[in-house]
Amino acid sequence: MTTRYQHLALDQVRPGMILSDVLRDGQGAVLLAAGTVLTENMLARLDQHGIESLPILRDGAGGSEAEATDSAAAEARLAYLFRHNDPDNHDDWATGLLRRYLTDYRLGREVQS
Amino acid sequence: MSLPTLADVVAQLDDLPSLPAVVMELLSAVDQADADISVLAKKVSHDQALTAKTLRLANSSQFGLAVKLTTIQQAITYLGFETTRNLILAAAVTGCFPAGRCPGFDDKAFWRHSIGAACAARVLARRLHFNQDIAFTAGLLHDIGRLALVTLYPEPYAGVLAYRSAHDVTVREAERAVLGVDHVEAGAALAEHWNFSPTMAHGLAQHHTPEALGAGFLATIVHVADAVVHGLDLAAEQEELVPTVSAVAWTALALDETAWLDVFRETELQFGEISRVLME
Repeated sequence: MTTRYQHLALDQVRPGMILSDVLRDGQGAVLLAAGTVLTENMLARLDQHGIESLPILRDGAGGSEAEATDSAAAEARLAYLFRHNDPDNHDDWATGLLRRYLTDYRLGREVQS
Repeated sequence: MSLPTLADVVAQLDDLPSLPAVVMELLSAVDQADADISVLAKKVSHDQALTAKTLRLANSSQFGLAVKLTTIQQAITYLGFETTRNLILAAAVTGCFPAGRCPGFDDKAFWRHSIGAACAARVLARRLHFNQDIAFTAGLLHDIGRLALVTLYPEPYAGVLAYRSAHDVTVREAERAVLGVDHVEAGAALAEHWNFSPTMAHGLAQHHTPEALGAGFLATIVHVADAVVHGLDLAAEQEELVPTVSAVAWTALALDETAWLDVFRETELQFGEISRVLME
């Protein structure tokens, strides 16, 4: 799960930022589509609709830097979760395989078949 | 206070919050005729909160029904008695234990893990052509003994949690060291007390020892589902720890990497939807 968006409070959102997800009001009606470039006018109207925070795309949407940080964080977390698994202990290979597959899953690696 | 023995736990099970009477009846109604079942379904309908939660589960995308179910009777018609019964049980059991009795015990994280294990067990069961209802319920209840211990011995259980943090051991090891009784034993006692089917009781009792002779396939599914959910970090617990995966259980599932990645994905998807219904 790479997180390419962040939730920002409405007063932190600036014109020019990009909405990462569809935005709905309390009744579920669509206010703005995903990918909308926000303008000052839109932000003023969202305030009137009672919207308090928005999912905003992170800087530099393609952001390979942000992605690299996410991957490193995911790997560090997996290392912590599997801290009882010793990769050199071959008797514990099943735990090691689960760890490897989960790492591939988290980092979005394709399976070579 | 002296340490409880398993006999103490068994003797005190009556002090635990009970499932609604009608749910107890449903649990033991396995062999009853359909006529009795419809009477029971009517009784469930008198419990509005339980009915609403059950129907929201039945209407989840998991079952992909084209119609929106509005009564328990309809759920039985469309999903069958077995599935409906398991949904009622899931809806009832997730609301029946009091929260916040034991300092340091995170009830929400407990249920996130249990619901995650239920979803993972169901996803695995579908791939392996095992009964999905039984797998889901067994996953949901696999650690129910922990709730029994937390509720009966809230203060000593706080000691279990402290021991676990200090020594970085599994919950079960900490329970044995501090309490002397672990959640697998307590869960087995509770399963009997609550009239769970022998298959279910056996699956719960063996989920930490799936390689034991006669442990059965349900124990294998629950064992691996448990590890998968610890690894997926679904409980969002700071000190989350993946337990050792039994090589025997892992081998018995015989899934390749492509299949495992699908299992992870499907589990996370189902978890999102089901946890919203069960943890409202």
